[in-house]
Amino acid sequence: MSSAPIISARGVAKRFGDFEALASLDLVVRAGECVGLLGPNGAGKSTFIGCLYGVVLRTGGDLEVFGYDPAKNAREIKKRIGVVPQENALDEGLTVLENMRIYARFSGIDRKSADLRITALLQDMSLETKRDSPIKTLSGGMKRRLTFVRALLANPELLILDEPTTGLDPSVRHLLWEKVTDLRAEGKTILVTTHYMHEAEVLCDRVFIMDKGKVVGVGAPKELIAKEAPGFVGIFPADSEVKLRPHLNGAWEFFQQGHNSCVRAPRFDDLIELQKTTGVSALQLRPTNLEDVYLKLTGSELKEHD
Amino acid sequence: MTEFLQTFRLGWHVVVRNWMVYRKDFFANISPTLADPALILGSLGLGLSGYVGEIDGMSYAQFLAPGMIATTALFTSFFESSYGFYVRMTFESVFKAMLTTPIGVREVVLGEFMWVFVRAGLMAFGVSLVLLALGLLPNPMALLICPIIAGFLSLPCAAIGLLAASWVRNINQFQTVYSFLIAPIFYLSGVFFPVAEKSALGVIVQFSPFYHGVKLIQFTVWGKFPIQEILWHATALIAFTLLMCGISFNRIGKKLTT
Repeated sequence: MSSAPIISARGVAKRFGDFEALASLDLVVRAGECVGLLGPNGAGKSTFIGCLYGVVLRTGGDLEVFGYDPAKNAREIKKRIGVVPQENALDEGLTVLENMRIYARFSGIDRKSADLRITALLQDMSLETKRDSPIKTLSGGMKRRLTFVRALLANPELLILDEPTTGLDPSVRHLLWEKVTDLRAEGKTILVTTHYMHEAEVLCDRVFIMDKGKVVGVGAPKELIAKEAPGFVGIFPADSEVKLRPHLNGAWEFFQQGHNSCVRAPRFDDLIELQKTTGVSALQLRPTNLEDVYLKLTGSELKEHD
Repeated sequence: MTEFLQTFRLGWHVVVRNWMVYRKDFFANISPTLADPALILGSLGLGLSGYVGEIDGMSYAQFLAPGMIATTALFTSFFESSYGFYVRMTFESVFKAMLTTPIGVREVVLGEFMWVFVRAGLMAFGVSLVLLALGLLPNPMALLICPIIAGFLSLPCAAIGLLAASWVRNINQFQTVYSFLIAPIFYLSGVFFPVAEKSALGVIVQFSPFYHGVKLIQFTVWGKFPIQEILWHATALIAFTLLMCGISFNRIGKKLTT
């Protein structure tokens, strides 16, 4: 990775009174990368996102986006970014076209260019038939896709996605992943925050795992998994700990996930053998994933609504 | 200068956005603005004129008429910048989305002030037309001047609304602001009766921007031009506007950024 840094954060901190929302965050995002910020609510992801375009004023550290300090030159930054915030915040009484025209105007796009751009983006998001529909008649998935359209109106170099697929059904989630992948292929830089580990694995070149305002792990998803939690996980029923424990190899890891007992072993066959030896059938056997990395690094269970 | 023009242009986009939303329910939105002054004029002005007698050589309806223009400015701006702004900020998250674009907090607040200025001016023009039709606008030039005064009067009134929006913890608390601040301002600032300058109330109302706006509109409607008094009320209104808009700008700025 030798391309120019789009985002450069060094020791970025944010305090709300006694509460430390961000504690000395170091992060570099280079042009063309898709970087994920992972963690539960309260981890500091959205606080950092807010710092990037000046709606959250950091209390410490250095931060540059496109070489500008967001606390001083937010407008220069905002001309070059598109943001999909957590809330859609569309004007419910207006139509799709009216909403998009308003935001095109905010971004300084003239009416003719705006209409061309809106038409193309609505087609791309399969919303062209909803052009004259009031927002209040759209489904949740349609509103989310429209929020993507809004973020892309000014053809931004950096796309910031703050929990873009939370609460969406799988089909819409997959559609949006596809669009994000296409945008990456176009060379856009993408910063995405998410609760969903699988989403990060699918989309991101690198992830920053955050917990309580701190980065607790950084790397490419596969590298992180290989480094922090290699192997396979068996998920066993809640009452199986007593039967499992005596048969665990010293290199294996035992942990609780919800009420279930989990065992992480280097090989899939180890878990098959464990089932035979103990007579306990696993509820699920699977390769390790980013969620296992998160659990190991933070020692806590990832919950969507902490 | 370029920066100022850019801020003005972006602020104007906020006005356009608000207008696009407002016009969707245009008649529902303007009904109370025009109906309330008409009801007050009808019930109090025309109803009481025969009983009250003359005030400074005018019927009670003639005395009351300019106050209706000022009232329109007060209520239009206060409700828009308190309830309206709060709903946009808290329930609709409009500003969160707006602030992801080149629009900043400065433009949001400027846009809100410009919006209430335009709305109050247009509503005041509508009320002035009604007064003209009722024969309660002896100075026809007031049709042009009063909307401008109403526009300026709306700014400190909007600042009160914005300050309230930045302080309240839930939408019901605006009722308290209305009961203990807006209603007294409305009833005691010379709309319904002449305030004796040397009375205690005469001193207190000097601290109400609404009173100065009422006086300026009264002079304009009645076609009276006591220069010194006009200068005093205009200066006071401008001073209150600058002070209160400045304070509300800071408060809202802190509210929209963290």
